[in-house]
Amino acid sequence: MGEKITFKSYKEMPICAMSGADMTYNLTGSWRNVRPYYDFKVSPCRLGCPAMENIQRYIFLLTQEKYEEAWRELMEANPMPSVTGRVCFHPCMEKCTRKDFDQAINIPAIERSIGDRGLDNPGWMKKAPATKKETVAVVGGGPAGLSAAYYLARRGYPVTIFEADAVLGGTLRWGIPEYRLPNDVLDRVVAQIVGSGPITVKTGAALGRDVDLAKLEKEFAAVFVGVGLSRSRPLGVAGEEGRGIERGLDFLRRVNGGEPVNPGRSVAVVGGGNTAMDVARCARRAGAEVTVVYRRTMNEMPAIKDEIEEAEHEGVRFRFLAAPKSIERGASGPLTVVFQQMKLGDPDESGRRRPVPDGDATFTLSVNTMFTAIGEEADAAPFGKLLECDGNLIATKGEWGETSRKKIFAGGDVATGAASVVEAVAAGRKAAERISRMLSGEPEPAAEETGTISIENINTAYFTKGKRLLVPRIPLDEALAGYREIHTGYDDRMLRREADRCFSCGVCNFCDNCWVFCPDVAVRRLEAEYEFDYDFCKGCLVCVIECPRCAISTREEGK
Amino acid sequence: MNAPKIPLPELMTSGHLACQGCGATQAMRFALKALGPRTALVLPACCWSVIDGPFPHSSLKVPILHTAFEAAASTASGLKAGLEMRGDTETVVMAWAGDGGTFDIGIQALSGAAERNEDIIYCCYDNEAYMNTGIQRSSSTPIGAWTTTTPGVHWKKRPKKKMIDIMAAHSIPYIATASVAYPNDLIEKFRKAREIKGTRFLHVFAPCPTGWKLAPELSVSMARQAVTSKVFPLVEVTDNGRTWKVWKDFEPTPVKDYCMAQGRFRHLSEDELRLVAEGIEENWQYLLSREAGSAFVPGLQH
Amino acid sequence: MKKVIMGNHAVSYGVRASDVKVISAYPITPQTQVVELLSEMCANGELDAKFIAVESEHSALTACVGASAAGSRTFTATSSQGLLLMHEIIHWAVGARLPIVMSNVNRAVGPPWSIWTDQNDSLSQRDTGWLQIYCESNQEVQDTIVQAFKIAETVMLPVMIVLDAFFLSHTFEIVDILEPEAVRPFLPPYRPARKIDTADPHSFGNLAGPGEYFELRYMIEKAMEDSRAVIERTDREFEERFGRGYGIVKPYRCDDADYVLVTSGTVASTTRAVVDAMRAEGIKIGSLKVRVFRPFPFDEVREVLSKAKKVGVIDRNISFGHHGIFYQEVKSALYGRTNVPVTGFITGLGGRDVTPAVIRGIAEKLIAGTNLEPDINWIGVKI
Repeated sequence: MGEKITFKSYKEMPICAMSGADMTYNLTGSWRNVRPYYDFKVSPCRLGCPAMENIQRYIFLLTQEKYEEAWRELMEANPMPSVTGRVCFHPCMEKCTRKDFDQAINIPAIERSIGDRGLDNPGWMKKAPATKKETVAVVGGGPAGLSAAYYLARRGYPVTIFEADAVLGGTLRWGIPEYRLPNDVLDRVVAQIVGSGPITVKTGAALGRDVDLAKLEKEFAAVFVGVGLSRSRPLGVAGEEGRGIERGLDFLRRVNGGEPVNPGRSVAVVGGGNTAMDVARCARRAGAEVTVVYRRTMNEMPAIKDEIEEAEHEGVRFRFLAAPKSIERGASGPLTVVFQQMKLGDPDESGRRRPVPDGDATFTLSVNTMFTAIGEEADAAPFGKLLECDGNLIATKGEWGETSRKKIFAGGDVATGAASVVEAVAAGRKAAERISRMLSGEPEPAAEETGTISIENINTAYFTKGKRLLVPRIPLDEALAGYREIHTGYDDRMLRREADRCFSCGVCNFCDNCWVFCPDVAVRRLEAEYEFDYDFCKGCLVCVIECPRCAISTREEGK
Repeated sequence: MNAPKIPLPELMTSGHLACQGCGATQAMRFALKALGPRTALVLPACCWSVIDGPFPHSSLKVPILHTAFEAAASTASGLKAGLEMRGDTETVVMAWAGDGGTFDIGIQALSGAAERNEDIIYCCYDNEAYMNTGIQRSSSTPIGAWTTTTPGVHWKKRPKKKMIDIMAAHSIPYIATASVAYPNDLIEKFRKAREIKGTRFLHVFAPCPTGWKLAPELSVSMARQAVTSKVFPLVEVTDNGRTWKVWKDFEPTPVKDYCMAQGRFRHLSEDELRLVAEGIEENWQYLLSREAGSAFVPGLQH
Repeated sequence: MKKVIMGNHAVSYGVRASDVKVISAYPITPQTQVVELLSEMCANGELDAKFIAVESEHSALTACVGASAAGSRTFTATSSQGLLLMHEIIHWAVGARLPIVMSNVNRAVGPPWSIWTDQNDSLSQRDTGWLQIYCESNQEVQDTIVQAFKIAETVMLPVMIVLDAFFLSHTFEIVDILEPEAVRPFLPPYRPARKIDTADPHSFGNLAGPGEYFELRYMIEKAMEDSRAVIERTDREFEERFGRGYGIVKPYRCDDADYVLVTSGTVASTTRAVVDAMRAEGIKIGSLKVRVFRPFPFDEVREVLSKAKKVGVIDRNISFGHHGIFYQEVKSALYGRTNVPVTGFITGLGGRDVTPAVIRGIAEKLIAGTNLEPDINWIGVKI
């Protein structure tokens, strides 16, 4: 702020009108009726992500070429971006504002790139020391359990993971084929998580068989149960136990375990979820002609849309509105499966229209193998006595995974029923946060008001229409020749290009517009932020309009 | 934070006397960022005579010589000569005039300086009327506009003067239009101008929320729409007036949207708006023909 | 070195001697030879100056404003209509306190078109704050240009050197040419305290409110007052160095004069011849040339005229509705100090000859006191 020069006598004045100081004595802020202020919103993508990944933030860090920081930001919400970047159903993209301009940002591709960089740079993960005396048991080494273990270990709690199998990974390992999630990627993810802090792993320790929940409750300060769904649902059709019929998950387990499989020339897969798609595609790779039979239509299929498209692309055929009715088999040779033709009736509790038989219409398929993939369920035996259940599932309340026992928490499919990897990851993290607060006596965080924005709030003049950058992939014949990962991922240039498409909705990404366009030089450009100089801001609000991403809000002066 | 999109050093201070959302102020700030501190300004009567601030203060950190309304180009000619004759050959002299001081009262001195190819930059910041005196029409006021001297049914019936053509006819080395909505382009053009000897004419579109009856927050947005609706095309004329280049890499927007956002055009009927739009398209086609014609000027290598 | 040159070229030689750096001018009869010779001097290297051949007198003076503000010694020349076109900038140069020197060849103002002399053009710039010096010989013209720069740069006000069209501008006289090397010790290079300088940036001439404008105008008047002593000192120094001095006023045979004719410009020379002739006849007459018109030489005029019995003022100009301009000025100088009667005579407008006979007629009319209007007497007009 400058001083105003005043003259008491002409003797103090220059002989002609000539300036002796600048204008900063003149506080033009007094002209202002309305005040702009930086007001960062929550980007819609973040609200769309079950794990609440700060997508805008890590993409922004990428645009700054701060790869390690981007990775750290991502790992705050999700300890396995290399996994979710490959297999997630990416609801974030549905929310992406750019969808209403040209095409949504390819968030999973970016997520995967960041995660893989984290794996390629082992130095980024600095092992957390055990700083807490309270120990936590995590039962189940799938996505929920790994996530819970990671966030507890990072906070210094010694964690023991009890895993029924010989290796960690759970459904990630056995339920997802390698062409989507290669084993070596998963191995590295698991290794990174296990190496991230004081984590002990006990494999071959199945709940109910080798480990007793009540005992764990006594021995540990807290227990997280994330055992997932271990049982495939039966078809309920006579003859489903026998030659030529296999549970899809068992088939995938064999494939993922490297066992040679030979389902025969003709294969049917019953179901419409991701498991059905994976089974169908693995069967294609084993040389079969594959037909997926689903009792509803394409629109109701729970599988990720991309996976359905991939399956079609790979030559999988679909028959909709059909359910197996009976199975006929001889001593050898193909089975004959009779399918009941269905139609859609009234909506069920999921909101989808319920399939009901369409009179007597049937058709038959002759198949060497029929795989069932109509869903999985939990085995409640190991926890049913100790914990309140909701059917076969552990009953939890709220978002933090609290069960009927104070020290026991649960999350993932065992609490929600069949859901997604990212939801399991989110549940594991939230339970870990809750456990940590319980053990340390920290207060619960206050619920935040989260303002968000939509395309109307974006100044689209600053963006050029274009297309999402697809992830490169190997040719179809190579894909079908084995289990090689189909998508090869972005290179650096592609990563940067796609990251640059991000609107950074509601959050400043230092585009400089407010500073550039301020007619009153009343925006200070500081090291890592901007600041309004309200001594001089006249309240023209040009900054508000020219902020491409609505990171500035206004309020009337004196209110 | 990223490297700044425009140069960091500020040669304009806060506290100046411009209205809210003033385009002329943005234009000055950008221009000085491009030209740097070794710049001396000549300011004829215009909004900037007031914006600069009252004696003994100034909102610019470069020397300014205020001069009479019609005298920007001639004062600048003398200033440049005077500096050179006292050994300062480096300082860039820039006359900074409004549209009234350029299109109307100052055109004689400007024409004289341009014909002599004085080694000055002449920048017209164009807010399309005499704004400092309270919104009277100038020969830069566009067809259709209300001003206090083109009120009611007497809205301006004549199109804006083709200033770039007039300057091109003077065979000066560099002529360009620029807009405050495109600061990088503006700065690049001023930098280019800085490196050229002779008379360089820059015509900067600078919205006036007060005079256009426009919400101040929309001033940059209007400047942008002026370009995208072809109301104010971004043009560069080089090779002493012979080579014309018209910027076309934008999503076109309707002239009507541009006009209807501003109170000064709001009286126009649909038919009248159509006429305005036709005139604008005609001018655009004319510019494109100049650009196309550049290729056939004898003696030019492309 | 002595040369026989026209008055306009005497201006050019004065400029050459003054080491002027920027010249900006526009042609107008009858001053054109001033700038022609200066262009030539710039072209042949005789004068190290930039010559800006502008498109109008308005631009000529504004270019001078720019050049002078930059800190360079600056000159322009004009006449009549050109001077009037400059009028806005005539004021500007004063407010900006720029020591610009200009020569104005007195030429009548149109319409009707006239290229011949009278003083209305320069006198209409009376109240602008320029110093005005009226010359009567080519030598005086050249010398006064050099003096003018020194005065202007001392008091920081512009100076106008005035010479009559044709009677001086196109009349060839012997002039002792001043060489720049000889003048330099008298008039060192211009080094202003304030200038347009990117190393020390200031805004010059911006808006001043009622709280400051008044003082700035007071300082102009003060500078004008101070300039009397500066003019006198400069003239004295010049005389010491070059042997020629001109004074603020030039009284001629006034010591014992009963009658004094007040004149300016070339009429002064003619009048002195008439005075000599009448003195030879025993008439106690003298003349007073007013050389410096602004600042007006009140003391000198009072001192000379208060001893006379009658004063006649010869004006080659007219302030319509208010008599001759020198007449007004002389009267206002004497008002309340002395009761000597002052009579005004208008003659020679538009270049009509003011011959010895005309002046003698005026003198006789004054002495006789018959058919004399108290304020304004038109001499030679065809009534």
